[in-house]
Amino acid sequence: MDASEVEFLAEKETVKIIPNFSLDKIYLIGGDLGPFNPGLPVDVPVWLALNLKQRQKCRIVPPAWMDVDKLEEMRDLERKEDTFTPVPSPYYMELTKLLLNYASDNIPKADEIRTLVKDIWDTRIAKLRLSADSFISQLEAHAKLDNLTLMEINTIRAFLLDSLNCMYKLRSNQQPGSSKGQFTDF
Amino acid sequence: MPCERKPMRYGHSEGHTEVCFDDSGKYIVTCGNDGDVRIWEGLDDDEPKFITVGEKAYSLALKNNKLVTASSNNTVQIHTFPDGDPDGILTRFTTNATHVTFNSSGSRVAAGSSDFMVKVVEVSDSSQQKTLRGHEAPVLSVTFDPKDDFLASASCDGSVVVWNIKEQSQLISLPLLQKTNDISNAKSLCRLAWQPVTAKLLAVPVESKVQLYERGSWDHVSTLSDDLLTQLINVVVWSPCGKFLAAGSVGGSLTVWDVNSKLCVERQKHEKGFTVCDLAWHPSGSQIAYTDTEGCLGLLDGLRTSTSNTTNTATKQAAGTKPGKDYDALFDDDDDDRVMDEGLSDTNSPVKKPVTGDDEDDDDFLMPATGRVRNRVAILDDENSLDTGSLKLGQDKFGDDDDTGSGIVPAAAPLVPLRPAYEGPMPTLPQKAFQPGSTPAHLTHRFMIWNSVGIVRDYNDDQDNAIDVEFHDTAVHHAMHLTNTLGHTVADLSQEAVLLACPGTDELASKLQCLHFSSWDTNKEWMVDLPQGEDVRALCLGQGWAAVATSALMIRIFSIGGVQKEIFSLPGNVVCMVAHGEQLLIVYHRAPGFDGEQALGVQLLQFGRRKRQLIHGEPLPLSHRSYLSWFGFTAEGTPSYVDSEGVVRMLNRSVGNTWTPVCNTRETCKSKSDHYWVVGIHENPQQLRCIPCKGSRYPPTLPRPAVAILPFKLPLCQTSTEKGQMEEQFCRSVLFSNHFSFLSSSGYEIDEDAQSQSQKNQQELLMKMFALSCKLEREFRCVELAELMTQNVVTLAIRYASRSRRMALAQRLSEIALEKANLIQEEMPEEEEEQDYSSVRRPSGSGQSEAAQGRQSSRRYQEEEEEQEEEQREEEEGQEMEMDEASETKKTSVSPPPMSQRTYLLSS
Repeated sequence: MDASEVEFLAEKETVKIIPNFSLDKIYLIGGDLGPFNPGLPVDVPVWLALNLKQRQKCRIVPPAWMDVDKLEEMRDLERKEDTFTPVPSPYYMELTKLLLNYASDNIPKADEIRTLVKDIWDTRIAKLRLSADSFISQLEAHAKLDNLTLMEINTIRAFLLDSLNCMYKLRSNQQPGSSKGQFTDF
Repeated sequence: MPCERKPMRYGHSEGHTEVCFDDSGKYIVTCGNDGDVRIWEGLDDDEPKFITVGEKAYSLALKNNKLVTASSNNTVQIHTFPDGDPDGILTRFTTNATHVTFNSSGSRVAAGSSDFMVKVVEVSDSSQQKTLRGHEAPVLSVTFDPKDDFLASASCDGSVVVWNIKEQSQLISLPLLQKTNDISNAKSLCRLAWQPVTAKLLAVPVESKVQLYERGSWDHVSTLSDDLLTQLINVVVWSPCGKFLAAGSVGGSLTVWDVNSKLCVERQKHEKGFTVCDLAWHPSGSQIAYTDTEGCLGLLDGLRTSTSNTTNTATKQAAGTKPGKDYDALFDDDDDDRVMDEGLSDTNSPVKKPVTGDDEDDDDFLMPATGRVRNRVAILDDENSLDTGSLKLGQDKFGDDDDTGSGIVPAAAPLVPLRPAYEGPMPTLPQKAFQPGSTPAHLTHRFMIWNSVGIVRDYNDDQDNAIDVEFHDTAVHHAMHLTNTLGHTVADLSQEAVLLACPGTDELASKLQCLHFSSWDTNKEWMVDLPQGEDVRALCLGQGWAAVATSALMIRIFSIGGVQKEIFSLPGNVVCMVAHGEQLLIVYHRAPGFDGEQALGVQLLQFGRRKRQLIHGEPLPLSHRSYLSWFGFTAEGTPSYVDSEGVVRMLNRSVGNTWTPVCNTRETCKSKSDHYWVVGIHENPQQLRCIPCKGSRYPPTLPRPAVAILPFKLPLCQTSTEKGQMEEQFCRSVLFSNHFSFLSSSGYEIDEDAQSQSQKNQQELLMKMFALSCKLEREFRCVELAELMTQNVVTLAIRYASRSRRMALAQRLSEIALEKANLIQEEMPEEEEEQDYSSVRRPSGSGQSEAAQGRQSSRRYQEEEEEQEEEQREEEEGQEMEMDEASETKKTSVSPPPMSQRTYLLSS
């Protein structure tokens, strides 16, 4: 799974838009959308919101958590706690990126929000690396992934799995006798 | 001693608030629960300077440009005045200080505290402190002897103690007050006051009287009281001359006595009856500032107790010029729309405040004001005539006081004939004309209108004055940006045009500008000058026409292309005006309202082919003490409005044009100061479109507010029960489908799917209610419900009744069914004739017959629909019947089938 796939999944999240056109309900496999009334907020998936936005057919209402005060609070909490704190949305990073790239004119203080979300992301990734390090150095067998988002897991998955494989190979070569003995048992 | 009570204004957040004047009398200084000290340049200062002194400020004193405050960090601190720089801490207590005061020269400060102590500190050297111990409860107030020998303090232990400052000893302790354990429980703050200048008397508020104690002997020499003053007195202050004493009470009364004659010379009442918690007398003696426990600041102006050595003629002159000044204040009304913004701000809504200050009166509504002023002139004249007569008498009486004393006699003379203050109903300030969906005109960035078509915004800062027009649906027209050179203040927007208007100035007439963007020719704009002296107050756009209400009580109708079509007069000042299609609705002032109520009238006119008036200036119902905050038509064309209490009402055309409350937006607000700013109403689907505003009545332009949707709910009884709920749904459904018959009667096409849907819903609800009543054994109610049903549903009800073994009920129902069937039979033949008639839409025939036709055709449609349904039902019913009968024979039970099955049947 790569980042673009995770982003694709994130595009299924709903976001409020204020359309500037009028359209009856549209019936899609994924569910009904609309009706669209000009000036009246309606919930649509992010992919549609971005598409309409690019065609200048709507204004995007940023999600409630995309607010400087709330994000600052979250960042401070994230820095204070040793464990991962709950995130506002399971796709917070992807949504921030998508919405800020395509609809930054509809989001007040877009730059500050970008920095704040990046701060939170950096803090969390640092924590993740730290825990991966202790996971390996203490030869743990399993770890809890509470409050981790798909994107975060995804960033470390390939690296962690490969390195674990390598380590395993290295370790099994170091003690050829014992490991071979184990394998022969089965 | 007539005086003018200025309207209260918001000073601090709720809680104990204190006030004083600076030495020159130029500033009013207040402190309050928000920890700020505010410096007001007069009561009208909209942007007072403030100094933050702590989290809370309990008390303040000001002298020699030193501001002493008692704040929540248990200190008494000095700030410089008026700069507000911190100048050190005078003293500390173990808990907060409750009252601080200066001595007459300003060299010492006394502070009483909740830790039972009183401290006297030298301002120049805070290390020189004297602590007075002896109180057994928190100290309520302290006051210095003007000659600096003594200090008096009152405490929650019930005593008033006079101390000798030098020896730090109690001279006398008087058990005068009620005992309490804390300031917060004390009924009265018991603010003592020592007579200035002569220092002869110490005033102690004891319950509803003021007791005066003589310096030296400490005997109780006299008591000041007033029959109309029944509540506990909180605070007393001496006038700077020492001849008058003012008291503020827990119930909001303000009373002034002449101490020599012991007569009450002035009575005023706090406009809302809140507790007066501090008073301050202007150094000139002409004004008293007061504050209440809600943090508001008020002012009594025009008290004539001057201590200056004016000669008699000077006093007379002053008396002579006074009424003139009053009139000036009355007519030089500041035209800056203050009333409007007060109307929309929370603290000073016009309706919650009876008309008091004459300078507040709008020049449109002089009636109540002039009445009162005339009254006042009479009193003033009285005094003038008395002046000369009483002069000699005064000299005789007070000649031994001092030579200059005669100067103040005229003021004190007319004491005896003073009438008690007028306490009857007060006229309400009539609300100003407004454009529904606009925010107050004084804002630099504001909405000129927000309606279902789009938004018009006005930016009016120093560099730029511009108007932005934006459409919700960009298919209507692209956004427009205009420079507002004319200074337009009101706007309306429709699918065809933008209408703007500006008030007239001395040179320029009031102008009306129309941007007719849907015009097919190249000239998309026209402009009209109103006659000189006539100002646009309200305007609106209908379909193909525009209406303007002016200050000359005139309604002018223009075509959308700019042809003047109609002109007629309005019985009162316009409040607002809205249009939809061919309907024009005007709200105006019928008469002055009283006690916070607005007396509004409403006219609904229909233009188009047959012009007529549908509502003939009937009174508009509003909630108690509220004013109109939004008026508009629903998207389907039913007039509806919102008052300042958040109640939404809608015209009920089926009950003789009455107004039905359909929603209370305040019920969904989280906090008291939150409001919903309504922008539109839709009947199908039922939507109340509004913008939630946190802590205000209207939204800011940035960040761009988002529209929310509220549901409607009729305030029926017992809506928590199943019965009440269904009744509410049914009534609401009926009310919100009224527009179908109205629209079809006025020749519009209607959404027949939606209509049949709503009728189906209603019948379903009726059947549910029928089943419920059946279960509750309310057969009479069942019959009542059956009368509302259509024939087909009645047959269903009969079946239900017979199934549940209610034969008597089934019998009655079948009679009803028969009646209904007969009714349909009678209508049948007529329909045939009308068939070809109705194919010609809108012939020259009258609207009435068309209405009937519309109704019939809709009914016919509904019948067809139901017949189809019925067929379906029959089939299912048939199957079920067999099953039911089978089970019934088996169990021989007499109970009717379960409800859920029934209702399922109906909805299937």
